Amino acid sequence: MEEAAKKENLKRKRKRRRRPAAEPLTPPDPAIVIALFGLMIIGAVMIYSSTSYTSDLDSQSTFLVKQIRAEVLGILGMGLIYIMPFGVIRWFGRLKPRIVLLCGSLGTVFLLLTPLGKTVNGATRWINLGPIGQVQPAEIVKIAVLIFIAGYVAEKTGAVDTLKGYAIPALVTLGSAGLVYKISNNLSSALIIAAIGMLMIFTASKKWQWQIIVYPLIAVLGVAYFLSKAHAAQAAGDVDNLKFRYKRILIWEDPTNPDFYYEGAFQTLQGLYAIGSGGVFGKGVGKGIQKLDKIPEVHNDMIYSVICEEMGLVGAGVVLILLAVLVIRSAQIALKARDTYSMLLCFGVTIHIAIQTILNVMVVTNTMPNTGVSLPFISYGGSSALFLMAEVGLVLRVARNNNR
Amino acid sequence: MHTISAKIIIMAAIMIMFFAFLIFRTWTIMRDNGERYKKQVLNQQKYDSRSIPYQRGAILDRNGTLLAYSERVYNVILDAKMALRDPDSIEPTFNAVSTCLGIDTSVGSDLRDYMADNPESQYHVAGLITYEQRQEYETYIANYNATIAEENKNRDKKLPEINKKAIWFEDQFKRTYPGGTLACDVIGFTTSDGRGQYGLEEYYDDMLTGKNGREYGYLTAENALERTVVPAQNGYTLVTTIDSYVQRVCEEKLKEYDETHAGEYRENEMGADNTGVIVMDIHSGEILAMASYPYYNLNDPRDLSMYSDIEVGQLARIGGWNEEFVEGETSEERKEKEESRLEKARQTLWKNFCIAQSYEPGSVCKTFTVAAALDAGVIHDGDSFDCRGYLTFGEGSRATTIRCHQRYGDGVISLKQAVEKSCNVALMLIGQKLGKDKFLKYQRNFNFGLRTNIDLAGEMRTATLVFNKNNMGITELMTSTFGQGFNVTMIQNISAFASLVNGGYYYQPHVVKQIKDSAGAVVENIEPTIVRQAVSESVSRLMIDYCIGVVDEGTGTRARPAGYRIGGKTGTAERSGQGKRDYTVSFMGFAPANDPQIAIYVVVDRPNTASQENGTRNACILCKDILTEILPYLHIFMTEPLTAAERKELEEKGLKDTLSQNSISDSASENEVSAPVPVEEKPDVRVLIDDKTGYAIDPINGEYLDPDTGVPINDDSSIFQDANGNPVEIEVLKDEEEEKLDPRE
Repeated sequence: MEEAAKKENLKRKRKRRRRPAAEPLTPPDPAIVIALFGLMIIGAVMIYSSTSYTSDLDSQSTFLVKQIRAEVLGILGMGLIYIMPFGVIRWFGRLKPRIVLLCGSLGTVFLLLTPLGKTVNGATRWINLGPIGQVQPAEIVKIAVLIFIAGYVAEKTGAVDTLKGYAIPALVTLGSAGLVYKISNNLSSALIIAAIGMLMIFTASKKWQWQIIVYPLIAVLGVAYFLSKAHAAQAAGDVDNLKFRYKRILIWEDPTNPDFYYEGAFQTLQGLYAIGSGGVFGKGVGKGIQKLDKIPEVHNDMIYSVICEEMGLVGAGVVLILLAVLVIRSAQIALKARDTYSMLLCFGVTIHIAIQTILNVMVVTNTMPNTGVSLPFISYGGSSALFLMAEVGLVLRVARNNNR
Repeated sequence: MHTISAKIIIMAAIMIMFFAFLIFRTWTIMRDNGERYKKQVLNQQKYDSRSIPYQRGAILDRNGTLLAYSERVYNVILDAKMALRDPDSIEPTFNAVSTCLGIDTSVGSDLRDYMADNPESQYHVAGLITYEQRQEYETYIANYNATIAEENKNRDKKLPEINKKAIWFEDQFKRTYPGGTLACDVIGFTTSDGRGQYGLEEYYDDMLTGKNGREYGYLTAENALERTVVPAQNGYTLVTTIDSYVQRVCEEKLKEYDETHAGEYRENEMGADNTGVIVMDIHSGEILAMASYPYYNLNDPRDLSMYSDIEVGQLARIGGWNEEFVEGETSEERKEKEESRLEKARQTLWKNFCIAQSYEPGSVCKTFTVAAALDAGVIHDGDSFDCRGYLTFGEGSRATTIRCHQRYGDGVISLKQAVEKSCNVALMLIGQKLGKDKFLKYQRNFNFGLRTNIDLAGEMRTATLVFNKNNMGITELMTSTFGQGFNVTMIQNISAFASLVNGGYYYQPHVVKQIKDSAGAVVENIEPTIVRQAVSESVSRLMIDYCIGVVDEGTGTRARPAGYRIGGKTGTAERSGQGKRDYTVSFMGFAPANDPQIAIYVVVDRPNTASQENGTRNACILCKDILTEILPYLHIFMTEPLTAAERKELEEKGLKDTLSQNSISDSASENEVSAPVPVEEKPDVRVLIDDKTGYAIDPINGEYLDPDTGVPINDDSSIFQDANGNPVEIEVLKDEEEEKLDPRE
């Protein structure tokens, strides 16, 4: 009997061991794949359209080539994650690996302080990796925080409802965001990191009611504080000594204010001109004028304005719908997830894509003060594309696991 | 689990609502401000339409040497708007501009003032620079920015880089004349806005001028902005008949002449009011060289610094400036006068003496009178004339006496001797035989009174400066036989003389022989044009013989270059209305004697010498000096043995005895200068000429036409009517009037 039981046990163990390897390689979720490639194609076209004119003749496609290189790398990474055993992904959520991952990503932020850091427009945001290119550590931190929170929350049901259980992930999130803000002077990335982390905690909480009161309250108070400070300075006529973030608030309220034209208002204003002049169907791809030396960072943060100018409301709508497909699909996958870890992982990615899209379009349409956020899968930027695609890879992997 | 799912659903819904709101927001921007922003976008594009400058055509000499070309330079454009976008970078950018481009950017400079006053400006021309300067600037920027980027890595407070968008460059062309003063009268110059002034630049302005291209945006029917580039069309290149070497020799000799004779008689004045040389290929009418002194620098035509103040005064006086500086005038008045004086002096310099100044030619014209009489058959080779030192003609109170150079007469002399000794009496006797009508007819045959229509701007009109059948009395006829009383230009005289020694064919003189487009394809070849046969070939042969006699044993012996035998005729003319001491001296000749190829005409107007004999001699010597250097260059070889002294002189000048080469290379003497004229071209007489008057005839209604303008001639020239038989004072047509007339019409 004992022997039989042992044999049975062994069999079961063998079966269990073999099982992951036997997991069939089903094709990835078609909606996500189509939306993703649609966005990347539109992005490539718009990057070429907005950079080919200002680049030198012999390097008209420099930006495009760099972007495609990053995207090919991203697709490879995505594929790698997709074929990985799910255990590996789950392993990252465990205590030691997730702490190592977080510390490692924060370590890359500290690398910015070394000579490897590369400064553009007064902010050090890139690490120069020589021939490989350059990487934005903030993007690594985003994915690390995402995995950390998902792993932490999934470890013990109801963990985040205790004070300690809430404080640890919240401090990790806000600490990482603060570090990114402090070192790379990058408010937008810090905000995104904070939003991803805090919203994930909120999602996992059973006692969530206080949070929907407190978070908006903090946000409102913060906005009121900045607004009042900016207005006070404006009333006192002491605008020149304001930090640029306060100036951006004043620009947001009135982009046509000539005092701020050279302080960045032209970017907002010219972006609005581009959007407004596009009309329903746009001027046609490649026929925009505003990208010609008028809008700074046109291929990057402001690319939505070029889409509006050249492809009109229709083009902008298509882009936002494709992004919405990504958001809806990954939320659906999260809902179907087999465990809390996969669910939060998936929804963290959903939050990331949605938040970044919303912030970017709000900035370009002057719905909020200017801060540099890229439009997912569209804007020029290798790190952003690479890590966002890795995140989409996670979502696809979870989906594959769901269908098992 | 359920609460998590619920939250996910609600949050995802909020996200999608946000997305919908963003689309709505985008739509409201388009709806509320679309039209305004569309206009605003197009408004900002105004400077986006950019002109692409054409390149003005080059001017080459007959061997392809550049005489004038347009060099690519760059306008430095300040984009104040772009500069101010990055205020920290202004300092390093302006530093680079002043270091590399030599433009003042110090505090308080024009550039900074402009930027402060016009912060919105995106187009301000800050200066003009060369290609090398631009390259230096660009290298400087690249190095500077690389250094700064390196340094910034280890700094908290970052150093500003150079703002590349603050300064940009616009193509531009600058007219350059590598020869400086070389052939200034022939070439002319261009104004800063690219229009040709004087000479070839003006005459061929249409050909040299191209068409600006344009890069511009335009609106399609759908209000979309399209961009189009219309490339610039560059101007045509002119290949002239000028030979740089011959031209340079002529100019050097004129300058030498001036240096030798400056201040000789009238203190501090130039060697002569004007000296001019034309060298012409007699078998095609091509001008090999056309030079006059004083000259000017084509690269800076307003510069008078190479002349002293007294010389500038002399130039202004030649140009007709007759004001005086007096005591007690305000500085304002004085300044104004000075300005008009300098302007007159400049105009004198710019005017091409060889085509735009008429004068009484004097004895060189005796050749035309003799040729006319021979051709008309009223005298013959071997006829003899008795010169007693004077001749009286007319009757009673109208009787006039004109003296010969020889107070006591030349005695009985042959026709050839009459030319050699330049005997006035013999010429007057010939004139009496020829008569007024025939004289006038031949004057027209030789093109006097008509423009030569040489392809240079500013050729003087001389129709009213010669006599016609109505105003020519016996005195006028008599003085005309030896070249006094009527006016010619240098180009008229040498063109007519060329026809005397080339077999009788009158060629239209020309300076351009080929027009090419900017790619080098030939647009037009300008072939030699025979206008008419002036005299018969046999007369031409006799005239060659007589002219050789002048140099061999007559008045022009000093004009003979060592080793060569040439023909020619000297001339000394009194300048009417200028006082007794003023003359125009000249020598007109051809070379070589055995097979005339080139004609040369040297004129010294109002030489600064004590006596007219000296003046004439100097003109001959000037001619000889030029021929000595250019004949060997033109592959015309020596025919005469050299004396020891001549040999020594040639060696000093670095020239060789080419006598020995003559027999060896017979074919070499048939050089490019004497391109054989096709026989069938010779009857190409283009102008229908009335045999009696020499005027052109309108083939439709038979009216006489002015060949210059093509309009019927108004025969009302009574002001020149000579009622008393006295010499007529002929007024020179004013220059201003002359220049108004377009020579191309």
